[in-house]
Amino acid sequence: MTHDQIDRMVRKANPLPDLNALEPVGASVLTTPLERRMEMQTDNRQVTEDPGQNRSRGPLVGIAAAAVILIAGLVFFLTRDDAQVAQPAPNATAISDEMDTPLAPGAYFVDTDGDEESSLGGTFVIEGAGWSSMGAGPRKVFGEGYVSLLIVEVDQVWSPACEAPAPIAAGTTAEDLANQFAAAGFTIQEAVSPVSAFGQSGYQLVVDVPGECTGTANPVWEGPTFGRFYHEPEGHVVEYWFLDVDDTPVMVEASWVPSSSEEEVAELQEVLDTLVITP
Amino acid sequence: MATVEMARRARFESIWAEHSLKVRAYCVRRVAAHDADDLCAEIFLVVWRRIDDVPPAPKTLLYIYGIAGKVVSNHTRSFRRKSRLDEKLRNLGVAPPVDPAFLVVQSSDDAEVATAVRNLSSKDREIVMLYAWDDLPRDDIAEIMGMTRSAVDQRIHRSYQRLARVLEPLTKPIPSPPVAEEGAT
Repeated sequence: MTHDQIDRMVRKANPLPDLNALEPVGASVLTTPLERRMEMQTDNRQVTEDPGQNRSRGPLVGIAAAAVILIAGLVFFLTRDDAQVAQPAPNATAISDEMDTPLAPGAYFVDTDGDEESSLGGTFVIEGAGWSSMGAGPRKVFGEGYVSLLIVEVDQVWSPACEAPAPIAAGTTAEDLANQFAAAGFTIQEAVSPVSAFGQSGYQLVVDVPGECTGTANPVWEGPTFGRFYHEPEGHVVEYWFLDVDDTPVMVEASWVPSSSEEEVAELQEVLDTLVITP
Repeated sequence: MATVEMARRARFESIWAEHSLKVRAYCVRRVAAHDADDLCAEIFLVVWRRIDDVPPAPKTLLYIYGIAGKVVSNHTRSFRRKSRLDEKLRNLGVAPPVDPAFLVVQSSDDAEVATAVRNLSSKDREIVMLYAWDDLPRDDIAEIMGMTRSAVDQRIHRSYQRLARVLEPLTKPIPSPPVAEEGAT
């Protein structure tokens, strides 16, 4: 099914597609209990509640619930920020380049070019426990499976990955790199498409890795800070973003294995939500 | 002082007149109909308390949706606790009362799609509902959810992929029943 087909199905299932289907907001339904509460808010008079008017909550429960909601709302509004403009998390720590180093909750920076003078790289936030470093990103292991995220630059690409005896130079633009990966011989779930992600523009590609393309005999790419990369196991799902960051192509690779549950992939998405790539 | 209070009340009434229908619809799309009005009232109670902080148009409705998300989320948690209690009652052989709000007339396919949407994780569900049911632009959803626009794009994309997997059987043609051959008994 295509994105448009799903979109049409979801929109058609809207339980209230037409606002006008709602009866006019009746004062007796909404405004009476609300106005009574507003009076309690404004003059602090003791209010005698008519149990016939508010069928679901007594006044004390209402006040307590409103207080809880107020506090929750207050916390929400104090803690939210203008995050829709991609800003890297402050005070990020450079991620350990030692594989499997545990990552405590906090903000981490992946330096994609290995140049301490530049800020080129990605910043992400880990909130939960159980994450460890893959050198160029975080990984979380769940029993036999895992989810992972890599933020890298790429020097060389094996294309087609399952057959190429030697690598070729990686494309010098995000689009070239995306097309090289699209031709790498993986099973394409979603073809290369333009995207804006993590504060940058580029291209997205989603693939499955067939069995004959896995293992150390079938490298896929090599980068200056990561080394040679290959997939394991069969069916590995990889979501790529190839981004043009001030003329430098940066690759973000989120992946999970067939046994990963939706909850596990959701944990990866939580990390992706925080990722910002900076030039 | 009285003038200030009157101005605050006038502003609240103006917000109410302009947005209460959309906020009520937001609630109807997420909770049982008989709870929707109570929740709408709770949301506007918070708006009243924070009336001095409510931003002017065009940000007003986004601000209210932010409050609504929290209020509905609290309600949903309470509802889940009640559902667990109902389950225990059923196990004891006591049938909990049927909520007429759930007997909404809807095609079975639409009901299945709506159920699949409701089974998404809480954050994904809210984003998909804001996008497809409340018809908000993705930039507005990013602001309400406190996320980047690209995070919203990704979550919609991934949620739709998940829904596609779950709903795939709905798009398969139903095989015709075998036609009896002429003369067969």
